[in-house]
Amino acid sequence: MQGWVTLALLLSLGVKRSLTQNGLGEPPVPRGLTSNPDLPAQTLSLRWQSDSSLFDLEIFHTELMNVVLNETVAVKADPVTGLHSWTWHSPLPLECTSLSVHIRARNQLSVSQWSPLQTIPGSDIPVKSESYMFPQDKMVPVGSNMSFCCIVKEKEDFKEIMYGRQEMNATRLSRRTYAITVTNQPASGNTGTNVICFSQRLTLTGAVVFVGYPPGDEGLVCETRDLASAECSWKKGRDTRLRMKRSRTKYTLNGRDCLEANEKKTWWCSSKVWEENWTLVARNPLGTVQLTDSAQLTDRVHLLAPANVTVVEVKAWSATLQWSWSVAAYKKLEMVCQLRLFTHELSSTRNYGGPGLSSVVLEGLWPDSDYTVTLRCGSKHSFWKWGDESGPYRIHTKMDRPDALDVWMWMDSSNTGCVFWKPLSVRKSHGALDGYEVSQSSAEEDGWTTVSLPPGNFSYPIILNNSSDITVAVAARNPAGLSQPSTVTTPAYRADSQLSVSELLGTNGSFVLSWEPNVNASSGYVVEWFPTGCSGLCPVDWKKLPESDSSFTSLLISDSLVAGVRYTVSVYSLSTGAPLLLQRWQGYSQEMIPSQSVSELSPNQTGSDVLLSWRATDMKQQRGFIRGYTIYLANAAHLDLIANITDPEVQSYRVKGLSLSSYKFVVKAYTSAGEDAGATVAIKMEMDTADMLFVGILVPLGIMFCCLILISICCYKKREWVKKAFYPEIPGPKVPGDWSSPQGPLDVKPSPHSLVHIVESPEWDFTKEGLFPVPEEEEESENDNIEVDTDSDEPALLRYYNQVVGDGSHSNQVSDSSGSSTASVGSTQTEITYAGIQSPTSSQGVCGGGSYRPQMQSVAGPKIEFEADFQDDGLNTGYKPQGSWQLDSPEAENLSGSLGSPTSVTSSQFLIPECSEEKPQPPNTWFHNLLSGKS
Amino acid sequence: MEGAADSDTPVTERSAADRAAALARLLHRDCTRLLELYKERESFLSQHAPGGERLVTLALCPEALSTGEQVGHVRSALRRCMGLLECLIVREVEEMGEELEGEYESLRKTVRDRLGHLLHSTGALLEEGEGGCPPSPPLQCTEGQDEVEASGSFAAKIWTYRVLLELIHWTDSASQTLHLFHSEKHGQQQQLL
Repeated sequence: MQGWVTLALLLSLGVKRSLTQNGLGEPPVPRGLTSNPDLPAQTLSLRWQSDSSLFDLEIFHTELMNVVLNETVAVKADPVTGLHSWTWHSPLPLECTSLSVHIRARNQLSVSQWSPLQTIPGSDIPVKSESYMFPQDKMVPVGSNMSFCCIVKEKEDFKEIMYGRQEMNATRLSRRTYAITVTNQPASGNTGTNVICFSQRLTLTGAVVFVGYPPGDEGLVCETRDLASAECSWKKGRDTRLRMKRSRTKYTLNGRDCLEANEKKTWWCSSKVWEENWTLVARNPLGTVQLTDSAQLTDRVHLLAPANVTVVEVKAWSATLQWSWSVAAYKKLEMVCQLRLFTHELSSTRNYGGPGLSSVVLEGLWPDSDYTVTLRCGSKHSFWKWGDESGPYRIHTKMDRPDALDVWMWMDSSNTGCVFWKPLSVRKSHGALDGYEVSQSSAEEDGWTTVSLPPGNFSYPIILNNSSDITVAVAARNPAGLSQPSTVTTPAYRADSQLSVSELLGTNGSFVLSWEPNVNASSGYVVEWFPTGCSGLCPVDWKKLPESDSSFTSLLISDSLVAGVRYTVSVYSLSTGAPLLLQRWQGYSQEMIPSQSVSELSPNQTGSDVLLSWRATDMKQQRGFIRGYTIYLANAAHLDLIANITDPEVQSYRVKGLSLSSYKFVVKAYTSAGEDAGATVAIKMEMDTADMLFVGILVPLGIMFCCLILISICCYKKREWVKKAFYPEIPGPKVPGDWSSPQGPLDVKPSPHSLVHIVESPEWDFTKEGLFPVPEEEEESENDNIEVDTDSDEPALLRYYNQVVGDGSHSNQVSDSSGSSTASVGSTQTEITYAGIQSPTSSQGVCGGGSYRPQMQSVAGPKIEFEADFQDDGLNTGYKPQGSWQLDSPEAENLSGSLGSPTSVTSSQFLIPECSEEKPQPPNTWFHNLLSGKS
Repeated sequence: MEGAADSDTPVTERSAADRAAALARLLHRDCTRLLELYKERESFLSQHAPGGERLVTLALCPEALSTGEQVGHVRSALRRCMGLLECLIVREVEEMGEELEGEYESLRKTVRDRLGHLLHSTGALLEEGEGGCPPSPPLQCTEGQDEVEASGSFAAKIWTYRVLLELIHWTDSASQTLHLFHSEKHGQQQQLL
């Protein structure tokens, strides 16, 4: 028995030893590991017992055994309980999936065995088969990172997780759990940001997260309204973006809930008693702000608005204002009140002071005027700010008699005039006017004659019956009474012609007058002005000046002056009697260019001069003093200045030395402001009768005579050329009389370089030699030209062939004259037409057997061949030589065109008949003789 | 003239039914618009397919009712909808406060007022002998909360969505039933004349 006890003791000691430290020096395994999850805070608190102070911790996702934490921590035991405690903050909600924890002790040499796994079940365990999402309704600051997990319902598949409208990448944590992490979250909308978990076919579940800011309130200020309690206000600051009621900012003032701010969403708090130090705490789920203020009560007096403001007495020029205070403590407060007075969009402020001020007298008001009054007050000592302003209060002052009128009398003739008075302004009428009373008296009549006029009248006509002075008194009347009468005595009428009227120059639209003081001006002066030349109801204006002791009295007139209008300005001295005229001017406040050009502009030609005359424009259109006229000559695009007449009285101008042409003149009047548009006149300069006779008849005749002489001289000098050109000597061709000789050409065949012109003519036998040597040049030229130039004065080169032509040839020749003529028509090189040459028709019968016979083709065969050549030389159509001759003669081509006769291009006849050969008739006219030098 | 005098009462009844039907149609459009506004605010609902049981059921009345009884039936459902809408407003005001004054909040109030008017109108019709269904018990807002699967804001949004769907459904049903009721009354009057 004792042996069994010993064995048991040994075993127990061995077990105990193995639990504390094995043989290798391992620390003992931690004992009693417990976990305490805080789901909203996402923290897991672990507690265990151990003798060690250094531990290894491992946390897994239970299902997939993914390690989420592997950390070595030094944790000391609590001296009271002896437990080790350590807290882990999970990035994911603890409900997302089950977690397993184990721990082991560590020393410097070794580690203990791991403790048994401690598992914290998640919401994805099989017994919770629905869908879930975590966390729900969390509030986080803007910019923070956050993880969400979705636990998919059993037998559902997972599709995606949306954060707001953004699709997120999900990570699988367990069989049913998927998680996302959102970084830098933006502020939420009014109802938070939705995080939705979708399966393939429906919305599984979701959560809402509220992302916002901590409070941003600032600027706490406390003041008193009733000299006892406090009102503290502040600025709201940045919007927290947290709209949900549970996440709104809550305020406390000196530790007490601020009901005004928490429930009414205002930014002020009240306290029944004044405390010198104030602390406001603003708190929402995301943070806290603390604001402080410190002040004495008397330094923070903010008065309430005066109550029951009213007017107790209203007069024409003043009113008494009264009000009350809703706080009794104000009655002893030294205060300052500011009264703001508004009338006709003008405002003024007046300050009043006193203890418990409750009434003031408003002085300096205008009669019959509307005023609006507001009032606010503040503490005079340690002025903090103006109190609340009272509501507007309206005051209307009473009426008073009008002020005296400004009266003047204007005389437009020696016995007629008009009394003028200026309308009273609102400030001077002191109430709506009922009318005017005009009274007049003369020295010869006793008493006053009074006339009442309605309020729209501002003048009254005066007639002097017996040229005695009249005194007129005018007074204005309103419901409050009659104004003081203003009197004026008729001034003596003085026409402009009776005075030396000076020219008055305007300056910047006004007149500056100055005159020497008058000793009789006991009551000052009156300056009167009106448009010059005005008649009837003239806009007479005036200004009264007090007496001045200075050597010169000056006045600036700028009222009611119109630019471009001439004014008559007069100065009168005022005394007890009638006003006395001192000086008179006429002038323009501002000169302008004339509105109308000169009139009646007319030109008058005198020889080569033109006299321009015109009339000046009317005074109303002058709009300034006419300083002169400018005369221009108008050209196509510009005006050339001819003259500048600086004397405005000169209204004509002579333009001298104009030639015969058309002219356009422009005359412009000018003032100091410039020229007017100008009047234009045109004139065409015409000659005198003698000039016209000379220029029109004698000059052309002289010119013609000179031309004729020159032509004659020229023709004489060039007579050879003229003769050659116009009257060439045309030789007459001579034909031997016997055309019946045997066939064969009677060809003398001269050498090509020594051609002989054979002419057989009885006349020529006597007068000329029969043979002419032909110069080579002519020969060559004739070889070039098929036709013979019969116009030349040189003997034409003719070659005759003694060819026998049949009897019919003669008739053919005659009948075929048209053919010859046709050939002549082709000789277009003959450009000279001979006038006076007789028609060949009339001489043809006589000259039928003439020696010159252009040979006609009578044989058909050769004709065809000739035509072929003829067609090649189209120009040589005038003359058709015999084909046999052409064939036999080696020089046929060159000589074929050597025969011809000048023809008219418009006629089918030869221009030179054959008979001319028998009786050559040179153009023996006087002109021909002249040209040829024959006498 | 006598005939005209006799027809005054039927004309009034017909007009009342007609007006009630018109009001139901108007209310149906309002509820449809209210749901659109809510979907604009909670965009995820555009992809959400409503599931689960209806919030308002017809278990209170047997089948095969007359038209007049159907009107009473629909009125009971509308009363239930009115209770749900009141709870919805209370909950949203509790959560968001009353400072939000957008179109949704304005129309929400309009729907409540018109729904009350429709209940009053249909009640007046039923008082003239067409009643059939016992009045449904008043709804407590906590009951509505119980139907929310969780207490979170997301569950409240889903519940609000379902309430709005019920409103659309029952106002449409009321519109059709009242139109039928009006037609039958009109036919009866024609036969009498």
